[in-house]
Amino acid sequence: MPDFKTKLREGSCLVTGPTREERSFWQEHGYLTLEGALVGDDLQRLQGAFNRAAADCKDDWLEGIARGTTPAAHFDIPNVLERDDAFIDLIDDPAWYPYLMDFADQELILVGSQVRTLPAQPISYVGWHADVPHTNPLHMKVQVYVEDVPEDGGVFAFVPGSHKPDAGPCPRPRLYEEMPGHKTFPGKAGDAILFNSYGWHTSMVNRTTSPRKSIILIYEQWTQDRVANDRFASVADRLTTPERRRLFSLDPMRAEAK
Amino acid sequence: MIDAHVHVFAKVSAQFPRDVDEVTPAESEATAEQLLQQMQDTGVEKANLVQIGGTAFEQHAYLLHCLKTYPDRFRGIGLVDDPAHPEEQMDRLAGEGGVIGFRLFSIGGERDPLAPIDVRTFDTYKIWKHAAEKDYVIWLYPPAAENHCVPFLVDAFPELTVVFNHMAFCPGEGSFSYDDAGRPRIDLPIPPITRYNTMGLHQYPNVCVKLSGQYAFSKEAFPYADLVSWHGALFRAFGADRLMWATDSPWILQEPGYDKLTRVIDTQLPDLSEADRALIMGGTAQARLFDRS
Repeated sequence: MPDFKTKLREGSCLVTGPTREERSFWQEHGYLTLEGALVGDDLQRLQGAFNRAAADCKDDWLEGIARGTTPAAHFDIPNVLERDDAFIDLIDDPAWYPYLMDFADQELILVGSQVRTLPAQPISYVGWHADVPHTNPLHMKVQVYVEDVPEDGGVFAFVPGSHKPDAGPCPRPRLYEEMPGHKTFPGKAGDAILFNSYGWHTSMVNRTTSPRKSIILIYEQWTQDRVANDRFASVADRLTTPERRRLFSLDPMRAEAK
Repeated sequence: MIDAHVHVFAKVSAQFPRDVDEVTPAESEATAEQLLQQMQDTGVEKANLVQIGGTAFEQHAYLLHCLKTYPDRFRGIGLVDDPAHPEEQMDRLAGEGGVIGFRLFSIGGERDPLAPIDVRTFDTYKIWKHAAEKDYVIWLYPPAAENHCVPFLVDAFPELTVVFNHMAFCPGEGSFSYDDAGRPRIDLPIPPITRYNTMGLHQYPNVCVKLSGQYAFSKEAFPYADLVSWHGALFRAFGADRLMWATDSPWILQEPGYDKLTRVIDTQLPDLSEADRALIMGGTAQARLFDRS
């Protein structure tokens, strides 16, 4: 299967949405790789915000592990949008936002974001799975690599085409690499993968000695009352444009909706 | 049926010394004969006796006595007194006959999951290494704080049979207490948060999970309906040939009673095939515990 990679920002071109070829690839395979989605100052700003937030929260994470109330298998920074505007700006970053808007027919809402550090260990924290059934509105995620992720570094993996309604459930192999037809996504810091969450995916085993750092942004095509209008109220003062207020469900998506 | 996890102990005596605590005072006893009567009444043929009352070799006297007296009915799990020098005690207990494995309540490993992990630095490394060399079973009940260390050990010794205790719950700090009946009570989320470090172990064919201790983890009375989903998840991940039913007697004798617990799997996993039920209720324990040399 030919791979498809979108080169972003070459020649400082603003990404305005998927090309016909990109849309076709998305519909057929259920993902797009966005190489170099974040670079330069934008990437450094995000890396700095990530590392500061992780340092601030680590002691609480370790205490939660000891109490048995927090997973040791992944370190998610809580309330991340409140910690740094870099995490808010990531939500509608022009590298992927136009794609998401297009695929969601211009009615896109944020469901949440996970700022995640994945320890190196011989097993993965999650098996092959789809996030939502097809009865759910279109559900999409963007996985952003904050540091380089080598092939054995807990890479994101996806089964191309498994997002289609007629694809049926995937098998559950004993070993992750035995999933038929799967594709892994090693990448550089700043690379991102946009994928359809109907599709089967996982995090492969991180057999390096370094934790994997990534951010997972979760979106859906808007439906009434899917996200409460106060879910992101804590950062409302920083969501000042009409587009952002709809994206974060602070304002109704449609004029008639309450 | 095989009950894969029970405790027996005698009154404290020169012949059978043991530690005492609030649930096992000196005059209390839960003898092998009492257990065998319960087993006979409920159709349970064999049981795996898990040491209680101390880690010293001498404190295993009653366990060893029961194993020698009823060699066709029991196997045993011992404790290790000195993790830094475990080999002699492990071999000595196993050499007495019937002791097939050793229970661990801690790993002694790195508590920061993001730090470099080297299993050779773990306090219990020598126990794991010697168990792998001698084909002893590791009977595992690790604290939540160290559960992330387990995959590294399993990966280092994949040939080792490792049996997670009590539905693979891992007690967290502050989660342990005693209920009104004086039984262990562990207050943890259901399903356990530690599942992110345990479910992936299904890929190692010698990692098993024991289905027991529901009374201590459930927030409901028998038949512990809040654990049904978790039992199902364990079954789907590990399969019947790596799950073992057990009662954790004697803590359940008064409530809900030994007889009821012989049927707990029927409510926790109601859609089992006859073959899978037979494995969980004894076949797996026979293969993994009793068929060892």
